[in-house]
Amino acid sequence: MEGRRDEDRGNSPKPSAVLITFVTALLAGAAGIILGGLAAWVWVGAITFGGAYLASRTSRGVMTEGPLKARRLLLMLDRGGSQEANAPPEFTEEWGTLHERLNKMAFEARTSSTALAELERFRQQADLAASILRDGKDPLTEAPELRVGPLQSLLEGIKSAASTPVVSRLPLGEEELIGTDGEGLPPTWPKPTEKSPPRGPEIAEGVARGLRHLVQDLEALAATLGGEGRRPAGESAELRSPAQLVDAVVLTAADGIEDLAAGLMRANELASVAERVTNRATLLALNAALEATRSGSEAFAAIAEETRRLAEFAREATDTISRLASEIEYKVGETITAIHATSEDAKTALAEISGAAMPTPAAARSARAQIGKLLDRARELQQALHTSSSDLAGGNPTAGPNSVQEHVENDPSPADKLPAQGILLIEGLKPGAPLES
Amino acid sequence: MNMNLGTRGALTFRLGDFSFAVRVEEAGGVLDAERLAHLPCVAEPVAGVAAFRGEMVPVVDLAAYLGIETHGLPAPRYALVLARGVDRFALLIPEIPKLVPGRELREAPASAVDPELGELLESELETDQDHFHLLNYWKIFESMIPLGGAAGPSRSSVERGN
Repeated sequence: MEGRRDEDRGNSPKPSAVLITFVTALLAGAAGIILGGLAAWVWVGAITFGGAYLASRTSRGVMTEGPLKARRLLLMLDRGGSQEANAPPEFTEEWGTLHERLNKMAFEARTSSTALAELERFRQQADLAASILRDGKDPLTEAPELRVGPLQSLLEGIKSAASTPVVSRLPLGEEELIGTDGEGLPPTWPKPTEKSPPRGPEIAEGVARGLRHLVQDLEALAATLGGEGRRPAGESAELRSPAQLVDAVVLTAADGIEDLAAGLMRANELASVAERVTNRATLLALNAALEATRSGSEAFAAIAEETRRLAEFAREATDTISRLASEIEYKVGETITAIHATSEDAKTALAEISGAAMPTPAAARSARAQIGKLLDRARELQQALHTSSSDLAGGNPTAGPNSVQEHVENDPSPADKLPAQGILLIEGLKPGAPLES
Repeated sequence: MNMNLGTRGALTFRLGDFSFAVRVEEAGGVLDAERLAHLPCVAEPVAGVAAFRGEMVPVVDLAAYLGIETHGLPAPRYALVLARGVDRFALLIPEIPKLVPGRELREAPASAVDPELGELLESELETDQDHFHLLNYWKIFESMIPLGGAAGPSRSSVERGN
């Protein structure tokens, strides 16, 4: 019995080992769960922090590049006035994209009346704001209905950026070109580094187009003032002073009236022929009456009477034609005289109203000198822009001494000089600008 | 017909400050005298010759014969043909004559006769608006051109020859 018990003891598992094994398995499972959770939390945290980091980097880039870009665009738009050609194309493209999206949304929402009305109102406000901005005016001032709408915040931002007194702070250092206190400027502004992205080709293209127009305008103005500027071919007939235009109008009117006078002379000749025919008819009637009187025939007298009436009718008509032709000829002469007198009065009035119409020699020389300076600046600016565009298009920043790398290290690139020189150029175009100094 | 004047009417025209009349019985017709054929070696009052119904008639400038100034008169000229039998001549006048019926004509008083016209004046006619000198025009013509010369052989001379 005791041996069987021993055998039983020796063959049967110990309860403590099973318990230990069970507990160990439980602990291992719990540890695995905890470790897995921790690992999951670590991954979630890494993804979160990584996303936040990337988002912060991205948002910082937008915050630095966005206002700078917007202010450049608004500055150019503001100084360019209503000339749409001077505005960079991407501003127009942005408005075009917005307009297209709104149109698309309005088209899709035509099935819903309320949404359609709301979108249509939004589209109309966008069109109105775009048209006012193209005219270089403040939409919030010009259109009060835009103060309460989805475009309010956007227009207020544009207004605050556009009203920044940038140009009025001339002469400027390069660090003061954008903004009054450097807010929103990237840390590399104004001196670019290797890491600073190059100017977008679309901005350079817009500036180049504006400069081409500016150079053309200056050359035309210089040619008009008799300076040394080159006048583009084919524009000699279009560039005329108001006095010359008045002369052209008067000459055209005088030519037309002289043609009319020539026609009247021809009408007078025909009237004289008609008068001769009438005289013949009168003679015929008189001879018929004379024969009727001599013969005493009543039948002959009746025919003679009808002939006489016909001759009288023809004479009345001829007299009326001659009188009208004479009156018209007299009035035409008066009109020609009045046109010439009006031409002289108009030229005198133009000279009195606009001193520029008949500039004095000294004023003309000063104007030519100013135009020449402006033209030189514009050409330099255009050449600089062309050089910058060529370097950027070459795509080899270390190719030689004229590479972008060298510009970046030794001197601001020509493209970076554009805002300063452009503002100086625009300031020079303002009336009364002290360019002589 | 005005039995007192012995005419059915008169052709009247103005010449300077004077008005003249020709009996319709003496008038052969009126023609346009813009183109006259001038004759050489004739007296000044003879303006030339004109064609009238296939015949050539001499034209006498009455204003030049009477010494009446006609400056400023209109350029068109007409010829009033006078006929007596087969003899014709024309008076150069500056306007188309007017035909005045005989019933409107009456003889003017003797006091109205212009003494300057002398023996050439045959009578004076008048209407309610105007008065006219009736001249012996054939006497004027014969004083310049004898009928046997300018107008060719007259019927009387032919008859005498026959």
